[in-house]
Amino acid sequence: MTGCAGTQNRHTDPVNDPWEGYNRKVFAFNQGMDKVVRPVAVAYERVTPGPVRRGFGNFFRNLDAPVTYVNQVLQGKFKQSLSTIGRFLANSTFGLFGFFDIATDMGIPYHDEDLGQTLAKWGYDDSRYLMLPIFGPSTFRDGTGRIVDSFYHPIGRVLHGNDRWGLWAFRGVDTRARYLDQDEELNQAYDPYVLLRDVWVQNRQYQIYDGDPPLTDYDLYLEDTPEEDQPVNEGGR
Amino acid sequence: MRLRILLALFLACIFSTGLSAENKGDDPVALVENIAGKIFADVTENQAAYSADPKLLETLVRRDLIPLLDIDYASRLILGRAGRGLGQDKIDEFALCMSNLLIGRYSRGLLEFSSKIKLQVLPQRGDLDEKLTRVRTRVTLPSGKEAPVDYAFHKTAEGWKAFDVVIEGISYVTTYRNQIMPEVQATGIDAVIERLNTGQLQLAE
Repeated sequence: MTGCAGTQNRHTDPVNDPWEGYNRKVFAFNQGMDKVVRPVAVAYERVTPGPVRRGFGNFFRNLDAPVTYVNQVLQGKFKQSLSTIGRFLANSTFGLFGFFDIATDMGIPYHDEDLGQTLAKWGYDDSRYLMLPIFGPSTFRDGTGRIVDSFYHPIGRVLHGNDRWGLWAFRGVDTRARYLDQDEELNQAYDPYVLLRDVWVQNRQYQIYDGDPPLTDYDLYLEDTPEEDQPVNEGGR
Repeated sequence: MRLRILLALFLACIFSTGLSAENKGDDPVALVENIAGKIFADVTENQAAYSADPKLLETLVRRDLIPLLDIDYASRLILGRAGRGLGQDKIDEFALCMSNLLIGRYSRGLLEFSSKIKLQVLPQRGDLDEKLTRVRTRVTLPSGKEAPVDYAFHKTAEGWKAFDVVIEGISYVTTYRNQIMPEVQATGIDAVIERLNTGQLQLAE
């Protein structure tokens, strides 16, 4: 990491990241935390057989169904919301508390929605990039959405005290283990902060548009825009 | 970020090797469809030979893939403002570096994954746009998970050519660009080319 936080970004494309200075500090903090989290994730991956890890992945994904359902309704995707109920019921029962994703085998498609995506659909589509401690890349909009969604997430509703935090922590390790093979790429990047931001922002856009985001305007990449002309977001979004 | 970019990029690589010079059809979807199977079959059939001599596979990839990629255009997109004032020779040098990097990576990915994955080319939606047409594919990983891999094509004087790969919404060109453009502006094009050639720069692998 270079010491010129906030200056490198002038040369890249305009990204809504006015809090870059703060974000880079949190990113550095997270990388420090990762010195502890990563070994745990590596150990988890080593000792747990693939099918078991997949089972836990399915289990956690199934627990997100209520959040997806509510947000599908909020976005007016009623037909999809019914299939989310179907998935949740099938996987929670026949799928043994969600360890087996039998709904997918039955041909019920998986969707993924949250309040951040709902707000984006409602017109709040350009939120400031915000690096969250521990949770990682987000935006102001998505971070807020995350807090609201967590109020009615099954893990928070059903479990209490240490059980609840234990399960959240386990989920964190499970999630971290999924990104282990990207570590090298990130570490070798010219600017890891920008790489993570780029990849996250693009993929988030992809989620918001349910896999069909607008095409990139490549012509813009060839234009010789003076840096001063880049749009600056002064709003509080 | 949901998917292992590493793996997906490999898969993308495999897939792009499906493009061949022999097929200059007017339809990029058909182009992708026709050739993908052929290359997959070739690698599966000659797996042992290619494993023993990866250079052989690299030669095949270079011959079939390069004519179907618009590396010059992709390089200009990646360099952006940093390419301003550079001579064509420098851009060519940079483009050559990028293509060498890709060929090495594609070939390795092809050897490792071609027998383990399935791919499906989705039908064209809407009209063909000669400036930018997206060919959408779905790659099924050994775990059963599907990864969407799209290709950006445009029509050049020599027919349709691909210039970007987009995996789960993450564009190869955009991601490279935001790393390489500032680096070129900070250290100069020669230093970056040098790094690419010595393999020190391995982002987005």
